[in-house]
Amino acid sequence: FFMTNILTSLPVSLRAVLVETVRGRKSRNDPIAKSKEGRIKTPPPVDPVEMVVLKERYTEYQLILSALRLDFKEEVLRRKYEEETGSLAEERARKEAEEHRALMDWNREENQRMLQLRIQMEKEEAERKEFEAALEREQKQQEFIRMKEEELLRLQEEAKHFITMENLDQRIEEALDNPKNYNFAIDKEGRITKQTVLK
Amino acid sequence: MVHLSSFLLKKYHGGYVVIRLALAGHKQANRPFYRIVAAFNKRARDGKYIEQLGTYDPLPNIYNEKLVSFNYDRIKYWIGCGAHATKPVAKLLGLAGFFPLHPMTVTEAERRRAQAAQIEPSTEKEEEQ
Repeated sequence: FFMTNILTSLPVSLRAVLVETVRGRKSRNDPIAKSKEGRIKTPPPVDPVEMVVLKERYTEYQLILSALRLDFKEEVLRRKYEEETGSLAEERARKEAEEHRALMDWNREENQRMLQLRIQMEKEEAERKEFEAALEREQKQQEFIRMKEEELLRLQEEAKHFITMENLDQRIEEALDNPKNYNFAIDKEGRITKQTVLK
Repeated sequence: MVHLSSFLLKKYHGGYVVIRLALAGHKQANRPFYRIVAAFNKRARDGKYIEQLGTYDPLPNIYNEKLVSFNYDRIKYWIGCGAHATKPVAKLLGLAGFFPLHPMTVTEAERRRAQAAQIEPSTEKEEEQ
């Protein structure tokens, strides 16, 4: 079978998509169809008069077109030249350089100003810290003194209840006379729950 | 993503630039709309182009006009850089006045006029008869 069916060589999934657009096309060595056997293909008829006129028109047309093309090329080159080395370009370059210089100067000024500001801020910061450190130290000292004074007072208070050599006998007598009862249980709030009587 | 300079691009493509009609992707059956586009020669018709230079609507509007637009400045630039124009674009530009009138436009018009002239006497003859 001379017409190798491309359709059957495809997978089933693709056949459905292609069936509408593609029909069996002939390959190079396939024989001619029966209906076209004696056909002699002739090119469309040419009117010589018209052809002459047409050729002349074409030469004219091509001449004009090539002239236009050269014209446009020249214009493109001229524009490029103007862009790069024209009078406007120089002015623009000069302005750019000036602007750049001005901006750099301004930037330097800004940096200087910022530097000054920063130095000042840091100085102030240091001073403030110093002041606060001094205050802190003062306070700490005060605190220390107060603590010590408190302790002194407390000790003085407790010293009244100390047992010395003179009080010894008296205190022993007192302790023996008043027996203390520790047999009690306590809950979380500190109230006594159970208490046994001392015997 | 590598972006080539124009020289390397020319070497890569190896072809030339054309100004041609590309179908704008509106995806509507029986409603074509063309863009006049500068593209490399071997690219697909509707594929990536360099620059759009105009439009062409082949179907006439309610006032029976076919609308065309051109960006003459850029067309001049591209032709100055050595772009070719295809036949339909050349014909359109000829009708617009930017190019000289294409010879085939004139010959087509003459042929049609000759055919109309041929049909008229035959219809006259038929009417008379």
